Amino acid sequence: MTTHTAERVLHRGTGTLLSGYDPGGADPVTTEVVRHGLNSAAEQMKRTLVRTAFSPIIYEAMDFAAAIYDRDVRLLAQAAALPIFMGTMSYCVHGAVDAVGGEEALKPGDVILYNDPYGSGSHQNDMAVVMPVFHEDRLVGYTAIKGHYLDVGGKDPYITDSVDVFQEGTIFPGVKIVDGGEWVGDIFRLALANSRLPKMMAGDLNAEIAGLKAGARELTRIIERHGHGPFMSAVERMFDHGETVVRGYIESIPDGRYTGRGVLDSNGVDDDLIPFEVDVVIDGGDITVDFGRVPEQQGGPINTPMPQAVSACRIALSMLAGGTDIPNEGHFRPLTVVTVPGTMMHPVSPAPVFLGWAAHEAMEVIFDAIATVVPEAVPAWSGGNLPQLAWGPRSHHGRPWADGCAMPVGQGASAHGDGAHALQLHAAARMRVTGAEILETRNPWLVERAELRVDSCGPGRHRGGLGVVWSYRALEDFFYTAGVERTKTAPPGFAGGRPARSTELRLEYADGSRTGFDKVTRLPCPRGSVLTVSTGGGGGYGPPSERAPEDVRADLRLGYITEEFAREHYPHVDLAGEDA
Amino acid sequence: MSSRVGVDVGGTFTDLIMCDDATGEIRVAKRPTTPRAPEKGVLDAVRAGVGTERVGSLAYFLHGTTIGLNALLTREGATVGIITTRGFRDVIELRRGDRTDAFDLFCREPEVLVPRHRRFEVTERVGFRGEVLTPLAEADVRALVPELRAAGVDSVAVVLLHAYANPVHERRVAGLLAEAGFTGQISLSHEVAAEYREYERTTTTTVDAYVRPKTSTYLDALEAGLAGLGCEAEVLVTRSGGGALPLRQARDRPFETIMSGPVAGVQGAAEISRLLGLPYAITADVGGTSFDTALVVDGRPQLQYEGSIEGIPVLAPWVDVRSIGAGGGSVAFVDEGGLLRVGPRSAGASPGPACYGQGGTEPTTTAAACHLGMFGPGQLANGWVLDREAATRSLAGIAERLGLSADDVAAGVIRIAAAAMAGAIREVTVERGIDPRRCALMPFGGAGPLFSGVVADELAIDTTVVPPFAGNFSAWGLLGAEITHTAARTKVLDLGEEAVGQLDALLAELYADLVERAGAQAREETVFEAALDMRYAGQDHALTVGVPLDGRRVAATAAGLEALFTAEYDVQYGHVMDERVQVVATRATLRRPLPRRRVGAPAPRADLPARPSLTAYSFAERRRRDFAVVDRDAVTEVLAGPAIVLEQTTTTYIDAGHEARRDGTSGCLVITRRTRS
Repeated sequence: MTTHTAERVLHRGTGTLLSGYDPGGADPVTTEVVRHGLNSAAEQMKRTLVRTAFSPIIYEAMDFAAAIYDRDVRLLAQAAALPIFMGTMSYCVHGAVDAVGGEEALKPGDVILYNDPYGSGSHQNDMAVVMPVFHEDRLVGYTAIKGHYLDVGGKDPYITDSVDVFQEGTIFPGVKIVDGGEWVGDIFRLALANSRLPKMMAGDLNAEIAGLKAGARELTRIIERHGHGPFMSAVERMFDHGETVVRGYIESIPDGRYTGRGVLDSNGVDDDLIPFEVDVVIDGGDITVDFGRVPEQQGGPINTPMPQAVSACRIALSMLAGGTDIPNEGHFRPLTVVTVPGTMMHPVSPAPVFLGWAAHEAMEVIFDAIATVVPEAVPAWSGGNLPQLAWGPRSHHGRPWADGCAMPVGQGASAHGDGAHALQLHAAARMRVTGAEILETRNPWLVERAELRVDSCGPGRHRGGLGVVWSYRALEDFFYTAGVERTKTAPPGFAGGRPARSTELRLEYADGSRTGFDKVTRLPCPRGSVLTVSTGGGGGYGPPSERAPEDVRADLRLGYITEEFAREHYPHVDLAGEDA
Repeated sequence: MSSRVGVDVGGTFTDLIMCDDATGEIRVAKRPTTPRAPEKGVLDAVRAGVGTERVGSLAYFLHGTTIGLNALLTREGATVGIITTRGFRDVIELRRGDRTDAFDLFCREPEVLVPRHRRFEVTERVGFRGEVLTPLAEADVRALVPELRAAGVDSVAVVLLHAYANPVHERRVAGLLAEAGFTGQISLSHEVAAEYREYERTTTTTVDAYVRPKTSTYLDALEAGLAGLGCEAEVLVTRSGGGALPLRQARDRPFETIMSGPVAGVQGAAEISRLLGLPYAITADVGGTSFDTALVVDGRPQLQYEGSIEGIPVLAPWVDVRSIGAGGGSVAFVDEGGLLRVGPRSAGASPGPACYGQGGTEPTTTAAACHLGMFGPGQLANGWVLDREAATRSLAGIAERLGLSADDVAAGVIRIAAAAMAGAIREVTVERGIDPRRCALMPFGGAGPLFSGVVADELAIDTTVVPPFAGNFSAWGLLGAEITHTAARTKVLDLGEEAVGQLDALLAELYADLVERAGAQAREETVFEAALDMRYAGQDHALTVGVPLDGRRVAATAAGLEALFTAEYDVQYGHVMDERVQVVATRATLRRPLPRRRVGAPAPRADLPARPSLTAYSFAERRRRDFAVVDRDAVTEVLAGPAIVLEQTTTTYIDAGHEARRDGTSGCLVITRRTRS
């Protein structure tokens, strides 16, 4: 539901009773049984996709989302996958269905292909497919999957320096790829013709469609089992339940307007820092995230399409308030997001959006705002974000190759304890790093080390987690692209905790000369050079002078910190002290 | 003489089943588990169930132990040190970078088994093709010995990069450690799991090193105790991947038996499936705190080649059993949003669910079943009498909050627990592309046959098979084990005629190792089996496909192997690709079947006195009504529901609209829907 007031756009949660079914008509038991069934259905979509996908970025890095919606495009269930996608899927369904002519244009067996970034919330590589679900000739909902395709024909397979959206890949603005159960051959050929990796694209598209079908089958089974009316009543009650849980949490935060502050390294084209502020307004059980004061849309791909800005808020809220449940539409009802078209959080065509990091950063900025009033509710800042892609003309077998994944970073400390070492950023929680033995088997690399990055943690009563250091020696020439963030500013601590070390990237040539860099596209790494990535640590929590001496000594004994670091940040500790 | 006994050590009870293969007589015993020294409980059960006078006649002693698992769960294993390639000290702590819980802002992954100061590096490097890139700096290894001693290390895991491709440096490290006076245990990664992926190989080797001393001590004590009783049986320990290992092997390869607990039941289910000719069966093992489910296809449990314990990966064959926190002790509550929820928190064993009358007050699934009358007259195997009033009282708070009757709350608790169980079953089946409605449900464990009717209904499953001795089914399942040895090696090969020759050479090496492991036991009836992990070039994950053998060589051409892979790929994924096929890993298995055992339950008894019927809740009719109460031994042919069937260690609830018949061969109770609603 979107309302325009002057140039500010308000994105609200969907209201209650949209379907006309009464939540009072459902008992709490049937509701819970339906909720289990829907979550299981979403899980089956995910498992089908993971088992059939062709590219490791889907089945290994979990760079996808799978969700089920009702006819009013309200989120019924989704599988735990890439969190930042999870709040964008409703926009994908709306965008895809509107593009083909609305509900009237849908028939059983249709699948719509959709990757218009301003509508889907993600760069074109993240291809959404949407399937309408029918039960007894009635449209009852949708299944939707968005997964990262390795290549959709942008100027490079991965991009940090695009100046408009047309450099970033082919756009499928909502077209039927399957029409009433029949493949649309022209569209299929068009899609494959615009990819550097057509076989992979075909495989992943097949896998996504298999996932859609699995979800559709389960949704109709659940409706069949309970009857459409009782099912919808249970759904309404389920949404009311999610809403109650989240409102209860919001009410525990004092009313007020709180400002969080973040800073991006650069927009990818210019080199300037981009500081920005986000206001979080708590009013009883309502929360508003106001992006009204963010900078104008940028000339480089740091902009985030509006749906992803909303998703960042949805996911941040779910992490804060949702307990361990995976969110449904009800969880989003208390949330209003404000954006202004033409800004970094609501860019308009043809603004480049490939990286979209403004949204990832926004999640932590929201936590930063919450920390000003309830510091114990959130962790301090993490080490940032380092997605990277490498590719080259010759593998061990003389063939072209490409490989990519995001690198883990140190996590911020909190009132509850030290930050964790080496985890993916919140927005990409399920991604898995490929180990050195597999990397060496498939890429012309010798991995020289894969270690925790000593001393990278932010000091504090609770210290942040450590980042990682990986070094790759080039056995053949290759190219490297990094969409890195938080290299120029240190990840801050909270409540007196100190900042951590920021991410550093370095290439050392065979002759011993070195170069450091941040965002980079297509950096040549010649044979014999060594690429080293060192990711940031997490910020500390509470003054370092309050850190327990035995904890400092334990960190020293384990080698998480050096003696020099301990002396500098914890002068109150006798490093030679005896521990039990 | 081939009498055999199965002893399964559970969390609370040690269960024994003895089968006298000459007479077909079956004896059952149950004794409290003795966690500090589990062999005591085992020997108690043997004395009680077999009797000292008959111990000497046992041919096989089949055993399921949780000794290694418990050492891991309680973190009471060895003080382990890791020796690894320079630059890779932190592999175990880096994990793969993913978060176990995506929505937990304060996510902390489980503590590593080996803290950083006990992880040591040596200069050396082997490439992925097995070539030595940097020779081993032997002085590095010698210098470690005093450090290991200073750190109190009594078990070492040696994990060098690409050691699966060339183990020369790992072997040399072991030799040097011994020469330099290290006296602790040593686990070498290429012997534990010769597969690539350094994180997973490190955790597996570490788990091996971690549980090895405790496992050895226990198995030694058990061996001595059995000998003391005059037992001369061959002692076999169940593997995580099904089958069993002779005791000596179990001592040498403790990581292979670490998850044997839930496996025995699945093995038993597989045996029943073969007997009844069931193409697909799903197990439903309901214990006090957890629900375990596994898929059995054509009488074979589904295997994975990687398992996990508490998030720690273990590269070993692993019967694919999924577990969720839903059992007899799962606690029901109304959450902050006003919905009724069940579990995953569980009431402890003491005082236990309210209905046990031991002072517990928590509203559990068992209390709900008791309130509804599903247990029948209410006498448990250990002699406790169920306290139905306490059960009803425990539900009152929830009933008041939700404004529902106690019956509605109790039925709701059961339906919600069953929905969670059904979700787990759907995961297991959909991953294999199988519709659960085509499967038979096979419930066992103390509460399995109690809940299975509601679970079957949720899944629209028509046939439920309650096996004999369902309450002690894990012990029963042990009896059907075969002696199994496995080995695997990663070597990526493009599939072609040349590759087939290389596979034969690899298999020859693997079988030579296995035959040596099996020692004198490699007899004529030994079966050789092989499987290949294959994939399309460009993919990371592989499918494991069984391949035909001629003796110990592959009995197929490259094209034949590709066809096998393609067919399996099509079954799993519903499409095939136009792409080269590669072999990633080669897996060899040696199996030696035990002599066939007699399967069956005691003949039905017509002489049992009839029991009065009672009132219980019918889920089908959503009301209370009359249920027949029948002793399982008295079921001769067809029993029409609604009925409650009693046996010593479990209760079977059969709702209205269903009927049960006794399968003459197996003694199973086969429950079917009378009419489709």
